[in-house]
Amino acid sequence: MADTNKPSGKVPITPPEEWVDKYGDYLYGFAMSRLRNPEAAQDCVQDTLLAGIKALKSFDGSRDIKFWLRGIMRNKIVDQIRKSIKENKVDIEAEDEALLESFWFKYSGIATTNPDPWQFNPRKYYDNSEFWVVFDSCIKEVKEPARQAFILRVLEDKTTEEVCKLLDVTPNYLWVLLHRARQQLKQLLETNWTDPKI
Amino acid sequence: MFTCKQVSKALHKEDLQNMPPMRRFFLKFHVKLCVFCGKFNKQVIDSQDMCSCFKENEATLELNREKLEPNQKAALKEKLSNIRTGV
Repeated sequence: MADTNKPSGKVPITPPEEWVDKYGDYLYGFAMSRLRNPEAAQDCVQDTLLAGIKALKSFDGSRDIKFWLRGIMRNKIVDQIRKSIKENKVDIEAEDEALLESFWFKYSGIATTNPDPWQFNPRKYYDNSEFWVVFDSCIKEVKEPARQAFILRVLEDKTTEEVCKLLDVTPNYLWVLLHRARQQLKQLLETNWTDPKI
Repeated sequence: MFTCKQVSKALHKEDLQNMPPMRRFFLKFHVKLCVFCGKFNKQVIDSQDMCSCFKENEATLELNREKLEPNQKAALKEKLSNIRTGV
């Protein structure tokens, strides 16, 4: 699959009054995929479009304005997650504490030497767009706060230091959260993805 | 050579594909041979790989995502227009 999100000469600038109709759904869907909260997602779209209008003079036309707006939205999403963390502080659970105290974590930085193998090979489906639709819906099903950690660290490319600061957790606990997110994502994919050949 | 803990820590901090080639080679080598952390860290690498493929294509994929309701769009348009005209 080709990535069309690359700069390719100047592109025409869509006037801001058309942004809601042209990009509103895309931006809202993107925000919902990260935040899972309709009100927060709507606020995010509004803040993004406002910031876009203010910063339009600095837009150089080197890429589609939709992706430029999405770039602005990424910061707004982090702001929304920060806000939600302030309201619901991340608490370490007893099970997670036990994992951090376990021999294998202390000795090797792993949860187990023998994790359950994948029931199918996901790599085989990277070219199948249906697989990514299921993948996208599975991310939304991962439980908080593991999902927030996963979104920030993996999908939004924040560094471990930045995520620890945002979630107010230690690097070790972030490791646990990411491990939980990966585990759940794997289980969800195994449940929800049906091999088209079967 | 790396220890298991160093490999796990490196994979926690950074995606394998973003590491310098030599570091990537030795980490992969360790994961391939290690009877302790091999299976676990192989799944971490596979997950990184899958997520990076998703990120690369996310913008162009037709995903089943939520859309704004017409009334939400209308409210948003009004709000933006008010702000732009300074009402």
